[in-house]
Amino acid sequence: MKADGIIEDYAIGGAMAVLFYAEPTRTYDLDVFVLLPESGQEIVVLTPIYDWLQRRGFAPKAEHIMIHGVPVQLIPAYNDLVKEAITEARQHDYDGVSVQVTPPEHLIAIAFQTGGRKRRERAFQLLETTDIDRGKLDELLSRHSIRSPGSDHE
Amino acid sequence: MSDRAGSSEDLVAALFCSKAEWHRTQARTPIKEKVRILLELQRQDHPLLKRHRRLEWWERPWEIEP
Repeated sequence: MKADGIIEDYAIGGAMAVLFYAEPTRTYDLDVFVLLPESGQEIVVLTPIYDWLQRRGFAPKAEHIMIHGVPVQLIPAYNDLVKEAITEARQHDYDGVSVQVTPPEHLIAIAFQTGGRKRRERAFQLLETTDIDRGKLDELLSRHSIRSPGSDHE
Repeated sequence: MSDRAGSSEDLVAALFCSKAEWHRTQARTPIKEKVRILLELQRQDHPLLKRHRRLEWWERPWEIEP
């Protein structure tokens, strides 16, 4: 998809990305952040991605696409933080295949920015069990004006 | 009394410490093993989730090999 110019870049996000850094938590889908080529349009158009996938036998259904038994949700980079998560994605190896994964500091920042109980839990799980660059995380939170939960009590 | 309270606090601290260490060990598990655990979690949780709410079409265990 990247080689064909359908997307500029990508990074695995959500619970599957957390899996690369922390202990397993249950999820039923795979989130992939995608950076789309500049189209000059205000509206995000996913048609080229869906067309590309359909030509390869992967049919979209609502917001997911079943790819080899895994429901995948392609999420266009919706703000600067997510764009940065993609451009700074870490390369990981999965069974000999190189995959791009959102860095843990960005996963935490996105979780705090988006909110929601499950996301916050995963963020704290990363904070407790993973080697997080606290300086980088603080800088991210500050630059993107994100308040961490509990900062009201500090 | 205070000695007993102190030893109880020590016990709780030790329990939390070993729990934290267990979570860190889990986090260091190879990714393929984590995916195997995830598939197992999906299989275990699915019947429970189904009992509590209507699930989306994609909320079902993945039929894949890790």
